[in-house]
Amino acid sequence: MFWRLIHRLLQANRGRLITVLLALGAGAAITAALLNLRVDADRRLTSEFRSFGANVVIAPAPAESGSAQFEKSATFDESVLARVPAKSSGAPVAAVPFLYLVADVSNPAAALHTVVPAVVAGTRLSGLAQVGPGWRFDPPLSVSASPRCLAGSRVASQFAVRPGATLLLQYAGREERCVLDGILSAGGAEDNQIFVDLAAAQRLAAQPGRLSLVQVSVTGNPRAVESFIGSLSGALPQASVRGVRQFSDAEAKLYERIRGLLSATVGIILALTALCVMAAMTNAAMERKHDVGLMKALGGPLTRILHLFLAEAALLGLMGGMLGAAVGMLLSVWLGAAVFGVAAQPRWIVYPVTVFLTVVVAVTGAFPLRRLASVRPAVIFRGEA
Amino acid sequence: MFLRLVADSFSRRVSRKLLTAGALALGMAVATAALSVSLDVGDRLASEFRSLGANLLITPHADTLPLEIGGVDYRPANAGADLPEASLPKLKTIFWHNNIVGFSPMLDLPVEVWSGVLKTPPAAGAAPRATLIGTWSRHALAIPDGGTFVTGVEKTNPWWNVEGHWFAEDARECVVGVALARRAALRIGDTVQIREGEKTVALTVSGLLSSGGAEDDAVVAPLATAQELAGRPGVYRRLYLSAITKPEDAFGRRDPSGMTPAEYDRWFCTPYISSIALQIEQALPGTDARVIRRVAEGEGRILTRVRALLWLVAAAALLAASLAVGATSAATIIERRTEIALMKALGAGSPMVKSLFAAEQILLAAVGGGAGYALGVLLARFLGQIVFGAAPAPSLLVLAVVLALAVFVTLAGSYFSMRRAARYEPAPILRGE
Repeated sequence: MFWRLIHRLLQANRGRLITVLLALGAGAAITAALLNLRVDADRRLTSEFRSFGANVVIAPAPAESGSAQFEKSATFDESVLARVPAKSSGAPVAAVPFLYLVADVSNPAAALHTVVPAVVAGTRLSGLAQVGPGWRFDPPLSVSASPRCLAGSRVASQFAVRPGATLLLQYAGREERCVLDGILSAGGAEDNQIFVDLAAAQRLAAQPGRLSLVQVSVTGNPRAVESFIGSLSGALPQASVRGVRQFSDAEAKLYERIRGLLSATVGIILALTALCVMAAMTNAAMERKHDVGLMKALGGPLTRILHLFLAEAALLGLMGGMLGAAVGMLLSVWLGAAVFGVAAQPRWIVYPVTVFLTVVVAVTGAFPLRRLASVRPAVIFRGEA
Repeated sequence: MFLRLVADSFSRRVSRKLLTAGALALGMAVATAALSVSLDVGDRLASEFRSLGANLLITPHADTLPLEIGGVDYRPANAGADLPEASLPKLKTIFWHNNIVGFSPMLDLPVEVWSGVLKTPPAAGAAPRATLIGTWSRHALAIPDGGTFVTGVEKTNPWWNVEGHWFAEDARECVVGVALARRAALRIGDTVQIREGEKTVALTVSGLLSSGGAEDDAVVAPLATAQELAGRPGVYRRLYLSAITKPEDAFGRRDPSGMTPAEYDRWFCTPYISSIALQIEQALPGTDARVIRRVAEGEGRILTRVRALLWLVAAAALLAASLAVGATSAATIIERRTEIALMKALGAGSPMVKSLFAAEQILLAAVGGGAGYALGVLLARFLGQIVFGAAPAPSLLVLAVVLALAVFVTLAGSYFSMRRAARYEPAPILRGE
């Protein structure tokens, strides 16, 4: 009998039903979308911070205490690269090797043959975009590009060369040719360097299989990066592994701030969306007072009547919540991709939580009907309730 | 007459109106809070971002190519060009001088370092070598308009941690990097002898520097001391500058030489990092101001994304509000169909009915929107206080936008129900069907 009544109640006024479902569904969609974004925020924020580039540097261990020499030519073996873990916090780790030497550089095409010492950095040129994502490349580096040689902006202006020109690099009697594929502007030491392929630099310096430095870009919250550094230090006793403090300090602070902002905003939105939808539900529920009056006049027990309406509200909440939460999660994935460029991952815990919240909101919205329990049916029918 | 009708209709069924106004107010409150915070977050995060340090590097235009590996310049001491320290106050006269948070000039030279405990100085070339970085730690610069501007390495390199304290500008003090201190067996309070060529200076170690970079192996001393040792008074080699900027959008990235005068003015009067760099080059002749791309671009990206997120939140709130209002007004219209039928039977046309209801909704929107704005300002204050420690100022622009949005949301939410109401036939409704 109970369920037949509910069935009838739901079928009675299609228009009203749809409107209420829409309101509940919209509230559920927004809740699900925001909750999903918030839960996914950790992952997103840490990948945002890779906007700054390499945050860990592996260098040869510093000279012993008391040693007189200042080792600018200290190198270590390439096998160090193999020890760097490929993944951290679920994202790939980018490790880019460097070998530095000071070579004599000249422009063979220039009328005046001047030789200027400059720093030559041998590296994996396709990895440069991960070390310094903000650096400007002219022409811009395409994803599949394998440039042969890049020059910093100050080197290019020193020799007055454009992409396509050739520079001659000489060191200890050996020479390499650098065919410029692009010019890099970084606003730092890289502007004064010439970047060639690692193998070419190793040939020029006669240091096969050696590296001066490895720059690593690790994703993860500040604690994850710390533990990465710690475990890598242990695995590489002959090297010094340190975090790039300039960015990691600021990142930790910024991370906390942005996360705090996100949590507070999402929390407030959820509370207010709930109240909003509740107001709509209350409005809709107040319409039912004639039905309540009629049922009382027919002799229905009060608790039964109220349970009927609360059950109807809960069912509406369930239906609206299930549909709305599904839409909301899809929305958050799409929004993540559209706004942040990285699709948000659907976090499955969000779905049942949202449905539950929607049911709670719907039922709470129907609560004012309790007030009518004490009013006599005649009063309701006269229109004075 | 119309206004009387609206006022009369508005004052009936107050409880229902309150509920609708309440839903509207809540939605608008969230939209206000999100909009206020998003307008403000740019400034707040921009100053947070300054904890990343300098975003501009100024070097002499005529300089030879630095030979920098791992942060150390291997050029001979007398190679390269210098810039005059005396022209630095001009930096505070550029158009965007208020955005300049701090700057620090630096002069590096390779020196020999040994502990003052040693009785006899080591032979030339036998002592441990290190770099001496001459800079300002907390320098009070006299600027042209009569005030002083305190600036130094603490503003441009905030991640340099000093155990002990920074050197005083006019004292014979210095700060030694932790790696160098270990190498040369130096502690805080020790005297360190620094030799460059023929000259030797004795400085007291006032602190140990840990920066996580090449400076851990260097000595940082007052600029005047470095100038004295190098025999080049009143000069510096590099200037690091930290400025609050607006992230570069498509307009900001354009080449200024290709802009019309009006566009150039707009570009010049926006604190893009490129326009600040140009203004610095104009104020300090003979310099190259380069953007430290890692810092500037990274900031820009994060700021854009956070702002987008807040806009999203505001949009979500508006959507929720409009749907709630729509549901409520649909219910209301259905309830009032007898009233509408009566009005039509008395001769009111559809447009009249629609405009009556629209006017009532607009009045509701004004009340709900206004209340929502007030609540939203409080919310924004609360949010701002928790997250940034500073509340955003209430803005009239946001009020205007919120009221307009409230009206839009209310009208949009009740559009369908109003259309339906206007089409009611009087007779069937009055008969009770």
